[in-house]
Amino acid sequence: MGLIHVEIRLAGFDPWQELAQWSGHAAAASVFVGRVRSTAMDGRPLQALELEHYPGLCERQITRMAVQLQREHAAGAMLVIHRVGRLVPGEPVVLVAVQADRRGAAQRCSAALLEQLKHHAPFWKREWCADQGIWLEENTPL
Amino acid sequence: MLQVLLFASLRERAGWSERSLFWSSDYATPRAVWNLLELGSLQGISIAVNQELVDADQPLQAGDELAFLPPFTGG
Repeated sequence: MGLIHVEIRLAGFDPWQELAQWSGHAAAASVFVGRVRSTAMDGRPLQALELEHYPGLCERQITRMAVQLQREHAAGAMLVIHRVGRLVPGEPVVLVAVQADRRGAAQRCSAALLEQLKHHAPFWKREWCADQGIWLEENTPL
Repeated sequence: MLQVLLFASLRERAGWSERSLFWSSDYATPRAVWNLLELGSLQGISIAVNQELVDADQPLQAGDELAFLPPFTGG
């Protein structure tokens, strides 16, 4: 079992730089980078995306999900970095990376962790358009 | 005391983020506290006690941190 690293960041990050420091020697690695889109859910141009979390519970929930999935998929090292605060379009929101001995395990584990993170970790998004903020009630579809 | 926390849209609906309530037997469960707060339906709201996700009918104790969480939208 590899190391699981989960971090919530207040400041912007470069996912490729993070990966350069993280990457190990597993035969397979799967990486997902999510960025702020340029339009809001209702199609209007997005000014900013605000992200809030419940400190403590949030990190623990993600780590718990990662431990469970690592076991299920026989995956290796896992990295999760998630932004909070006010982000502008194009900025990275989330980085999920999983190493494994096989591509299937790495890809399936990474996809499963991202979906669990979206639905079971206490994060909340507020879209800002024309200086007005709207809390999202649900996630974007897969 | 019972520490009650609200996040995101719930916080804005209520107009407060944190409240300390003197312990009373009226606060037997998260559902009972929620009903006293008069913030609408509990449907779709997650509940955490001492930073663990729990059921709405989990018994509460003096000194607990109780959080009501609107639907999660991270990732």
